[in-house]
Amino acid sequence: MGREEVKNKEHPVIICRCENVTLEQIEEAIKEGITDLETLKRKLRIGMGPCQGRTCLPVVIRLLARKLKKRPDELLIPKPRPPISPIPAKIFLGGGEKDEE
Amino acid sequence: MRSETVIIGGGIVGLSIAYYLATMGHKDLVLVEQNYLGSGGTFRCATGIRASFTTEEHIVLLRESINLWKELSEKLNFFYSRSGYVWLLRTEEQLKAFTEYSKIHNKYGVPTRIVQPEEIKELVPTINTNGIIGGLHDPLAGKADPFEAVLSLAKAIRSMGAKICTQTRVEKIIVENNKVKGVKTSIGEIESSNVVIAAGYGSRELARTVGINLPLKNVPRHALVTEKFREVFKPLVIDWTTSSYIVQTHAGTFLIGADVEEEPDSPATQRIDYIPRAVRIMVKLFPWLKHVNILRYWTGYYVMSPDRHPILGPLENITGLYVATGFSGHGFMMAPIVGKVLAEWIIDGKPSIPQAERLSFERIKLGKLIEEKAVFG
Repeated sequence: MGREEVKNKEHPVIICRCENVTLEQIEEAIKEGITDLETLKRKLRIGMGPCQGRTCLPVVIRLLARKLKKRPDELLIPKPRPPISPIPAKIFLGGGEKDEE
Repeated sequence: MRSETVIIGGGIVGLSIAYYLATMGHKDLVLVEQNYLGSGGTFRCATGIRASFTTEEHIVLLRESINLWKELSEKLNFFYSRSGYVWLLRTEEQLKAFTEYSKIHNKYGVPTRIVQPEEIKELVPTINTNGIIGGLHDPLAGKADPFEAVLSLAKAIRSMGAKICTQTRVEKIIVENNKVKGVKTSIGEIESSNVVIAAGYGSRELARTVGINLPLKNVPRHALVTEKFREVFKPLVIDWTTSSYIVQTHAGTFLIGADVEEEPDSPATQRIDYIPRAVRIMVKLFPWLKHVNILRYWTGYYVMSPDRHPILGPLENITGLYVATGFSGHGFMMAPIVGKVLAEWIIDGKPSIPQAERLSFERIKLGKLIEEKAVFG
């Protein structure tokens, strides 16, 4: 273990690729005392981009579980929201009520 | 555990009450939150802040709240901007009503005015004004980042010595001989001579533990957010006819709310008709939205009081018991001033703004309701 110790200012380890959040920022926030995923999400926007945390959350969950010495399922895990995958608005224009114009 | 004051509810309202109590020197505080900070209405809200209401009580309190938003955001370093609201009007009747509302706003120092479609286009770049005959521009209104606001308030409160307990549930309020003694929580009892209930709809259940019936209704509301873009327009835009709104948040996403009919007190479940309805309304106003990706759809509640004004201040004749709830969709924007007047009520026995006193629980019991007309979303 101990891989999270890897730090390099020139080549930061990016954990959330949607919102460009680095490992260093996450560790900093945990050090500040933010130890739940829901609050980390709002502070750093991890998991708030197009993938809704599919890439970063498993990594952050493991990191946090290790730091807090808890099981991953003991952590509050943010809820995924529909439509799950990004969908262009126009998809919702078809069918049903007719669009005026 | 012991403390001078217990605040129940870790949303923006409870945090703001704790903040003003602490800054006024009342530092022995415990704030209790059943889930995580902001997890109720605060993190689900549209982030808008305005004073363009239709009653003296709302306008005066929100005008003061707007002053405090500026002060707080500068002091605590979080995003807040006076980026305005634009209300879109489609009928002569609406235009007439908003011309009257604007006179009320102006009377209490809120500089709204009626604008023509041409000016709406300047205020809201890329908007399609087909079918819009005019609008109301509120330049004093704006928006803040709820995440930054909650986190920086929490940090400030902790640094002043207050204690915040998250994941902690209050089971009952303890009252003896009409005096508050404390609260019973999932982590044990907290002795306290003051208790403030600022728990949204949960306030109803808490008040019931001391035999008080708060007439609140929880009405499900819906919102969605798109992917991020650089700034397209600043104001929050309201389509009054459909009671819908769109705002580009601080992060750059477009947050859209549209009114769908809901039974009060029914659970907020996701509805298949919500996204198509919201998209249809907004694509007419912003045709480019067709090509924008929708990322997330979530629900929240408006905690409605009988007259769409909050219930503030001392609760019945129980010494030391206070309430701040029933914001009817406006809790985020009102939080700073509510924090200040509640702190004054607890410390000085009286708020510095007389309009706040008119929003006591007593008005509802006496049937002296103050009707607010400008509620949307």
